[in-house]
Amino acid sequence: MTDTDLGRADLPLVATRRLLDGAVDLVFRLRPGDRPLVASGESVVTWAPIVERLRDPHLIEVAVPATVEPQPGGRIAEGELLFDWRGRWRVAGGELTEPIDTPVAGIVREVRPGTSITIRASGRALHGIVALGAPTRGRLHIVAGSDGELRTGSLDVGLASTILVVGSRIEAETLTRARAMGVRGIIVGGLASKERRDFVASERRQHAALHRLPPFAVLVLEGAIRRPLAGPIRAVLGALAGREVAIGIDPPTLLFDAPDVIIPVPPTDLVRVRAGDLAGRDGTWVGTLGPRRFAGGVHLEAAAVRFDDGQTLAVPLGDLERFV
Amino acid sequence: MTSEPRAFLAIDRGAATTSVALIGRASGSWRLIGSLAVPAAADVETAIDLLARRVRTADAGLAQDLGLAASGDQILDTLPRLQVRSQRPRRLAVVAASERALAGLRGTADRSGWWTVGASVEAADPLAMSALLLGADVDAILTGAGDPPRPDERSALGELAALVAATAARRPAVPIILAGGMSEGLAAFGDVARRPGEVLLAPAAAPDGHGGPLSELLLELALPPDDPRRTVGTATQALADVLDRRIETIILGHDASVRVFAGPSASGTESHARVAVVPSAAVAPDDPDDAVVDGVLLWLTVASDRHRLRDHLRELRIAPWADAAGEGAALRMAAARAALVRLAALTEGTEASLAPDLVLTGGGVWSAVPAPTVALAVVDVIRRPGASQFALDHARLLGPLGAIPDAEERRRILRDLADDLLAPLGTVVTPAGLRAGRSAGSLTVHAAGTSTEIDLVPGGLELVDLAPGETAVAEFKFRDTVRLGTRGRHFAVDVGGGLAGLLVDLRDVPLRLPERADRRRYVLAAWQMALWAGADV
Repeated sequence: MTDTDLGRADLPLVATRRLLDGAVDLVFRLRPGDRPLVASGESVVTWAPIVERLRDPHLIEVAVPATVEPQPGGRIAEGELLFDWRGRWRVAGGELTEPIDTPVAGIVREVRPGTSITIRASGRALHGIVALGAPTRGRLHIVAGSDGELRTGSLDVGLASTILVVGSRIEAETLTRARAMGVRGIIVGGLASKERRDFVASERRQHAALHRLPPFAVLVLEGAIRRPLAGPIRAVLGALAGREVAIGIDPPTLLFDAPDVIIPVPPTDLVRVRAGDLAGRDGTWVGTLGPRRFAGGVHLEAAAVRFDDGQTLAVPLGDLERFV
Repeated sequence: MTSEPRAFLAIDRGAATTSVALIGRASGSWRLIGSLAVPAAADVETAIDLLARRVRTADAGLAQDLGLAASGDQILDTLPRLQVRSQRPRRLAVVAASERALAGLRGTADRSGWWTVGASVEAADPLAMSALLLGADVDAILTGAGDPPRPDERSALGELAALVAATAARRPAVPIILAGGMSEGLAAFGDVARRPGEVLLAPAAAPDGHGGPLSELLLELALPPDDPRRTVGTATQALADVLDRRIETIILGHDASVRVFAGPSASGTESHARVAVVPSAAVAPDDPDDAVVDGVLLWLTVASDRHRLRDHLRELRIAPWADAAGEGAALRMAAARAALVRLAALTEGTEASLAPDLVLTGGGVWSAVPAPTVALAVVDVIRRPGASQFALDHARLLGPLGAIPDAEERRRILRDLADDLLAPLGTVVTPAGLRAGRSAGSLTVHAAGTSTEIDLVPGGLELVDLAPGETAVAEFKFRDTVRLGTRGRHFAVDVGGGLAGLLVDLRDVPLRLPERADRRRYVLAAWQMALWAGADV
């Protein structure tokens, strides 16, 4: 092999990012007092209620007759048994409940009262960095280009029940307005910390309200700074446009069960610049260059990447990623 | 491992960086032939292949001697490997009867490789405590009390034991640690032998919250034996024995930072290193709160605000190798210093009262920046009067070499590799108690038959070129009495050279930085610029 061939063979040094995964275990967190409505091994369909969530749980002391054989985690009429102390059980109880529905079909893998329910979601998953809000489902609709930004004024009621792909960034105000207009979710490249904080605070206020809106989620695919969506990810989202998809919170994923959708496979030598001056650009891997000096007087392992405009440039190896 | 092979690979698979080093036998001893650091998500086999190719290109004869002359996977596959791998710190739920007991337990666990969450009967109700213990991300539970329990704990211990035992019944796979007076509540847990998760009895937390048997037990539970944050401790101890020096090792990691103190074994008594593994001192914490962001902002040499900086810290967490040039390098240096501050705060009291003979540092965060600046970053934060040599574990060998199971073999290989492992950064001399003024005295450096005299100006740094391998005597004459190990005005210190040379740090102990952000950035950048050729940030 020539040096050039060897340099090409170094492509596995570029950090990989999985474009799509198979079935994913979706976790729904529970608190003491929440009542699971499903059991391990059961199949669930989309929008099936899986938990009766207790709003504002509080502690009750109850004398439980021994005839009912109380166990920690068991249930009585007053709520969930926590522990026995000197003949009286501490119970997590409350008056108001609300249902939690699964946005995906699948099989219940595990039910741990007070801790979590795990559902193996059928279909495929596109992983994100973080998801905020509650698991949701809707029709995927692309409203902005890869590096575009959705403004508040661009929203209308026609977008209700959809999950919107909005490009590289979004503001908290647009998120709350989208939620108020019945949009089910937002998929965005980057969400700044300030917008994230404001949205989380808004979600908390919304949860405290008696009349709640349908579940709404924000799925962040890249990170915290403005960055266009990667080409292979845009291709996946493009192929799913108009179809029903779901957003999972734990782990942060876009879930879809559409075996007939053909997802274009990215070329093996396609690399994407994740950071630095060339951030967001896709290129073709040429080979490793060895250590090079970059801005700030730092020496980094570098690679040559050929871009669409014909230029071949040295890029720090750590700035690159590729999709598998 | 035996000494029969002619070469072996030392691989440290960190959370952010994978480091591959090729060790070979040359002239009858083990030497570092070459090393390479790549992002953790990169393929290790490709990195090994690239390293072998570079060795072949640089010295074909040596490659031939080591059996690497021909390319091919099979040859590399046959090389023995010492491999360590960092695990993501796990979460420990800590509950106690009183806030005081909780603070002691959490303080110990925070330094023993765990992320902790906690609550006490004094401040939380049983529902909140049950929710905490049942949390899906809780990997183990620690509950404890004084031994014997303090008066403020006694009345609540019974109910606390019942609560924890109920949780233990619901989550049978989760290990439970009963510390100090809580061990009396063991009966509440029933037949513990039939439980999949262990129920362990442990001593109470040390009164000062530092070290002790509870800390050692928690460290063993937190990290597997092949985690480099544990093996660095054994490697530091072996190095202290080999070099007959008191050594402090500071490793800054993506998920946790490590601080180790080791002294040489003496008179047939084997010494044991004191190891602190602190997840909250990670360079890039998961969800940087205001305290973390403000801590980094304090050291940043480029203008930023809280929101932007938090965004960049999140990016550093997501992709630690990306954006390492330009302002990214400045961010890393600031994040590293802030992590050091958190590490120092949580290990305060465990550190040696005297400056150690050698300060050894390492971690992926240093891999992209010029080595001389690393010494400055450490002395900016870890400030104590005295003189120490500084070195960088540039090839990240400490972790893998600390994993050699046989202590004698470990020492033998470290004896061979000490010079290659330790990239000398130089000697840092830090006098304390200087009075402000035009001159604090003078320094005369006697090296290679020549003498150089330098005026000592309080508040700044004096740099003296002293190449790696060179030694000199630094003669200090202060106008007033200062602290430099001992109190005095005249000192003669043996100093060794390094990439940063001799660094005389005449700044305040502890360091006082300007309140105004722009002035602070200017001062920090000026100090850094002296040691960072080509820095424009």
